[in-house]
Amino acid sequence: MSALAAQLIANGIIAGAIYALVASGFSLVYNVTKFMHFAHGGILAFGAYLFYTFTETILPFPLAALLTIILTCLAGEAVNRLVYKPLRARKASSAVLLIASIAGLLFLNALVLAIWKADTKTIALERAHEVIEIGGALISYIQIAIIITAIVLLLGLWWLMKQTKIGKAMRSLADNKDVAQTVGINPERMYTITFMIASGLAAIAGILIGIEQSLHPAMGVSLIIKGFTGAVIGGMLSVPGAVLGSLLLGLAENIGIWWLPSGYKDAIAFALLFIFLLFRPQGILGKKLREA
Amino acid sequence: MAYIDYFIHLGILASIYVMLTVSLNLAVGFTGLINLGHIAFLGIGAYTSALLVLNGYPIWLAVLAAGLFAGIAGIILALPTARLKGDYLALAALGFAFIVGSIARNWTGLTRGPLGLPGIPQFLEERTFAIQILPDKIIQIDKLLVIYLLTALVISAIIWWLTRTRFGKTLQAIRDDELAAKMLGKNTFAHKVAALGISAFFAGIAGSFFAHYISFIDPNIFGLGDLILVLAMLIIGGLASVPGSIIGAIIIVLIPEPLRFIGFSPTLIGPMREMLFALILLIIIIYRPKGLLGKVDLE
Repeated sequence: MSALAAQLIANGIIAGAIYALVASGFSLVYNVTKFMHFAHGGILAFGAYLFYTFTETILPFPLAALLTIILTCLAGEAVNRLVYKPLRARKASSAVLLIASIAGLLFLNALVLAIWKADTKTIALERAHEVIEIGGALISYIQIAIIITAIVLLLGLWWLMKQTKIGKAMRSLADNKDVAQTVGINPERMYTITFMIASGLAAIAGILIGIEQSLHPAMGVSLIIKGFTGAVIGGMLSVPGAVLGSLLLGLAENIGIWWLPSGYKDAIAFALLFIFLLFRPQGILGKKLREA
Repeated sequence: MAYIDYFIHLGILASIYVMLTVSLNLAVGFTGLINLGHIAFLGIGAYTSALLVLNGYPIWLAVLAAGLFAGIAGIILALPTARLKGDYLALAALGFAFIVGSIARNWTGLTRGPLGLPGIPQFLEERTFAIQILPDKIIQIDKLLVIYLLTALVISAIIWWLTRTRFGKTLQAIRDDELAAKMLGKNTFAHKVAALGISAFFAGIAGSFFAHYISFIDPNIFGLGDLILVLAMLIIGGLASVPGSIIGAIIIVLIPEPLRFIGFSPTLIGPMREMLFALILLIIIIYRPKGLLGKVDLE
């Protein structure tokens, strides 16, 4: 039984790390722009499929990954420029931006389906799936890479937001756009940087998740829903909170199926989402709730 | 004859979506509750009605139960969430739709899960009805189409009437300034719960009509694709306008139809339709946020 428990906990940590990869970029955008960028999931799926296509050609892995990250950053900025910028210019409410971002997600989802068709694709990298035993649980190399990347991203984002000039500018913009502008911060330039970084994170997430699982067109939709749920649980206004919440979500889903049929994983996640939105919308790490 | 059947099909689909969009407008447009979970009520109505009829209950009872079940679900959703504002309400409602979809997918003993429910009977076995208008001229009327069109019209009329009553005026006052409505002594919470309940009731009826026309439903009915579809209908027509919702639903049902005749492969048509809906929704939100006949902005 203890081997099973160890495996469930390991699976929970792996799932949590995957959600954290998704949540980090999503949460970064939320912290700077104050709206929910659901299209992030579509960007992620787009990146995963680009990587698949590049590896199917003769490109070596590092070059394929680099190209994927660059193109995905540009795709994210395109969404920002074409969809969000005109809405910001009109001072649309965050509810309007939310609906626009869901429409963007569905558009990208359908675009991936139209280009790459509905059948599942696998990225051929057998070595990534070799497993080792840690504390009674079996974990593959790619899963270890995902966990390490999630930790590095957490630290990196914390450093970016707290220690760098860009991060400080982002935070002051989030606090008060008008004041930020008067001290010489160009909001649109900062938004561009934010979307580029977040989309680069989406590309990294897409590449790793694409190797670990197989690719299917709806992956962006299901992953962003989980990443978003993790971010809500941990606290939308805190990037470390989003990562922590994702980890808790992964653990809750995987430990929950000790009692429930495994098909109920999603129901556990959505029930948690619902409960947090109702009773603690600021999340575990969130301090104060903004006026909605 | 075949192309007439095709237009009858479009007419029935448009009727179903008119019911759905008009009912959503009561919550979003008239009351200001940004309910992104409306498809949950469509699905609950569809499943309730299909399961009752497949288990031998009469259809009229199933339609009524579909509305009541969805209405109760609407009240259950409203009780904890009606106090939330803006995007938090939107997300809680969306989460609610995901939960219901997840239950439909997993409660296989009741819903057969992803296999779906096939063989749901239509309202009528014999659809055509011949009228002799001239001694030498007989026209065929599709009774099913008439039932769907009339129901859509009746539901639209009820909601239009509701918005003109004292109750409806209060809903619009809550949308414009909740604090002011409260200060005038209105129980805004009860009004919001009632609005969501009524909105969900009619969405449930739409779900029943949908299930009995398509004759097959599965948990995909709770998907984001249908959400975008109905949001596009609502927003293109315009918030707080019943005629707007009717026009919006008809436009969105008709727009993708030419794709069939351009000659795209069938596997491409599905994604192309979804891209088109998402694109239309985005263009309207960005360039014409009031839609065609909207009275208020989406705020």
